[in-house]
Amino acid sequence: MRRLAYTAAALALALPARAAEFNASLSVAPQVASDRTASPYYVGPPTLPAHNRSTRQDLDLRLREGGFNAQGTLRWQAAQGAKPERHGVMNQFYYDGELGGGLAYTAGKKVLSWGVGYGFRPLDVVQRENRRGVNLPAPVGQSLLAVERFDATDAWTLAWVRPGAGGGATDAEDGSLAFHWYRLADGDDLHAVARVSHRRGIEAGAGFTRVVGDEWSFHGAALYEGRYRKTLNRLAENGGTLAAADPMTESQKHHGIKAVAGLQWTGESGWSAIAEAWYDADAYSRAEWQRLDALTARQRALAGFAPAAAIAGNVGWSSTAYLATTLLRENLMLRLAYDDRDGFKPYAELLTTPRDGGRVLTLGAAYEGNRQRVAGGLRQLGGAADSAYARAPLKRVAWIEWRIALF
Amino acid sequence: MSRFFPALFLAVAALPAFAADEVAQLLKQADAFRLPAESVRVETQVELYRNDALDKERLYTVYVKPGRRSLVLMKSPSEIGQKVLMLADQFWLLMPESQRPLRITASQKLLGEASTGDIASMTWSEDYAGSVKGETDCPPPPAALPELAAPAKPRRCLHLDLAQARNGVTYARVELYLDKANKQPVKADLYVGSGKRAKEAWYVATLVNGQPQIMTMLLLDDIQVNRRTVIRYRAITPKAAPDEFFNPAALVRNSLSGW
Repeated sequence: MRRLAYTAAALALALPARAAEFNASLSVAPQVASDRTASPYYVGPPTLPAHNRSTRQDLDLRLREGGFNAQGTLRWQAAQGAKPERHGVMNQFYYDGELGGGLAYTAGKKVLSWGVGYGFRPLDVVQRENRRGVNLPAPVGQSLLAVERFDATDAWTLAWVRPGAGGGATDAEDGSLAFHWYRLADGDDLHAVARVSHRRGIEAGAGFTRVVGDEWSFHGAALYEGRYRKTLNRLAENGGTLAAADPMTESQKHHGIKAVAGLQWTGESGWSAIAEAWYDADAYSRAEWQRLDALTARQRALAGFAPAAAIAGNVGWSSTAYLATTLLRENLMLRLAYDDRDGFKPYAELLTTPRDGGRVLTLGAAYEGNRQRVAGGLRQLGGAADSAYARAPLKRVAWIEWRIALF
Repeated sequence: MSRFFPALFLAVAALPAFAADEVAQLLKQADAFRLPAESVRVETQVELYRNDALDKERLYTVYVKPGRRSLVLMKSPSEIGQKVLMLADQFWLLMPESQRPLRITASQKLLGEASTGDIASMTWSEDYAGSVKGETDCPPPPAALPELAAPAKPRRCLHLDLAQARNGVTYARVELYLDKANKQPVKADLYVGSGKRAKEAWYVATLVNGQPQIMTMLLLDDIQVNRRTVIRYRAITPKAAPDEFFNPAALVRNSLSGW
C-alpha cells in the first residue's frame, strides 16, 4: 500500500501544469485455470494452495512532457485462497535528452527492447520479456543510463543497466553494461548486441529482418551466452529420492546458444501467418525432463512407505520447473490470425516441442472499439503422453481482458 | 460521318499530349492541393462511421518529408504511444508496451481500421505513373453524404489511370479524377494488388489563406460496405523534423514531442 501511495505521489508531482500528454486507462483481467489432477507433478492443497481463479485490475497512468516519460500502475489483485492486495508499480520513469550532433541520452527506468522475433527474442538481453505468457501486465523497465547516437540509417545505444547494483539473484536484478547496434542496409534491418554482466558474463549476438515483396518477411537472430543458469533438481541430477529441503538449485553452465528463425506472411485479405522455430539453452533439455520425470515417478512410488507430506512437498518443489518461460530447448510455433479491418482480430496459435511431442494450443480474439478493448482466449496444454506439456500440472487457462481508455 | 473520323483522330491525337511528363506534371499539381510544402506536420482526425453512425474517432500527428518519408504518431487515448514509420517502401510499427520497432510489410500497413497508408501518404507524383484516359464530366458525389456537397455547376474532369511506379505503395492502381480547370483532386478509385477495388476516395477542398486546399478526404470501403471513413486535416504546418527522427531505432525516443 505504501508503494501505491509513493507511485501516485510521484506521478502527481511529475504532473506539470501544462502536461503535453497525460493518459489513463483501466483494465480488468480475470483468469481461470484448470488443473490436470492426473499429472505426476500435480500437488493440490494443503501442500500448495489452489489459485485457479484470479483477477487483476490495473489503473495505468502515463505522462509525457518533452523528453520526460512516466508510466505507473495502480494494481488491485485477488486470487482464490489468497488475500486481495493492492500495490503500485512504476513501470517507466525516464528522461530522453539530446546532446546535439545526433547524440542523445536517457536516464531513468525504461523498457529497452532490442529483440528480433515473435515468440522468442534472444537479443532482448536487457528487457527479458516473457513472450509466452497470457494476460500479462505491462512490462517494468530497468534503471539505466544510456548514450545513443542516431543518423538516417544507423544507430547505437550504450546502456549502463542498474548502475551500481552489482550482481543480482536474477537477470532483472543484475547490473550490466549493454550495447546495441542497428543499421538499415539495403532494406534489411540489421541488429547486433553485446552485454557484460555478473550472472551471464559475456553475451553477444546478431539478428536481421528482411521484407520480401508486399507480403513476406523473414527474421533470424542468435545469441551466444558465456554463462547461463538453470534451476535443476539435484536429486534428479545426482541421485536420491526425497529431500528435506528444497532440492531445486541453480547450476551454472557455460557456452549457451539462443536462436530464432521465422517468417511471416500477411495477405491483403487480412489473413496472416507466422512460422517460427527457436532454441533456448536456458530451457530444460529432453534428458533433463526425463530425469525429473523418473525422480517424480520414484517419489510417487513411495506412497504408503513415506510420509505423504514429504512426497507432496518434493513433487511440489519439482513442479516449479513449470514456472520457466520456455519448457524445452527446441520449439516450433505456428500462428494464424485475421484482421477484419473493423477492430476484430481472432487468432489461433500452436506451439510444439518436437523433442517430446508436446503441444500448446491457444485460441484467442480481440475487439477494439473507440475507447474500449476486449481480448480473451483459451490455452490448452497437451501432446504426447510423456511430453513435458502433457504432464504439466496445469491443463488449460482461459482469460479475458477488458480495457477502457479513460482519457 | 465525314466529320466523325477527323474528330476522332483529333481526340485520339490529343491524348498522347498528356502522356509521360505531362501526367507527372498533372500529379504534381494535384499533390499541391493536398501537401502545400515538401516537409509538413499534419494534425489529422479520422472519423469511422458504421451504418452512418460515428463508431470510432482517432487522432494522428503525421510528419512528412521528401523522399517518401512519413512518421505517424497515434494520439487517441486508446492508441497513444503507437507510431508508424514509412521510409519509401519500408515500414515499422512501434507499440508502446514493447518499446521495440517492429518491421512490417506493405500488406500489414493496410490492416487496421484506418489504413496507415491512407493517413501517411499524401502525394501521388512520387509513387504513381500512368496516362490520361480521357476527359469526362466530373463524377457526381454519392447522395446523402453530409461531407460532400454537389458542385454549384457541372465540372469537367481529367480521368487518369495510374499504376504504382514503386514497391510498397498502399494501392497498386488508382483511377484519379482531377478538375480539368485547376487540377484539383475530386475522386479516386483505389485498387489493391489483386485488382480488386478496395476504396473510393472523395476529396473536399477548403479555402486556406485564399487558396483551395484538400482538408477532408472521404473513404468509402468496398470491403466493409457499411463503413465510411472521414479524414480531416485539422492543421497542415510546414515543418522539417530532423532526419535522425526518421531512423527506425529512434522510434523508442520521445524526441518529437517538441516538434
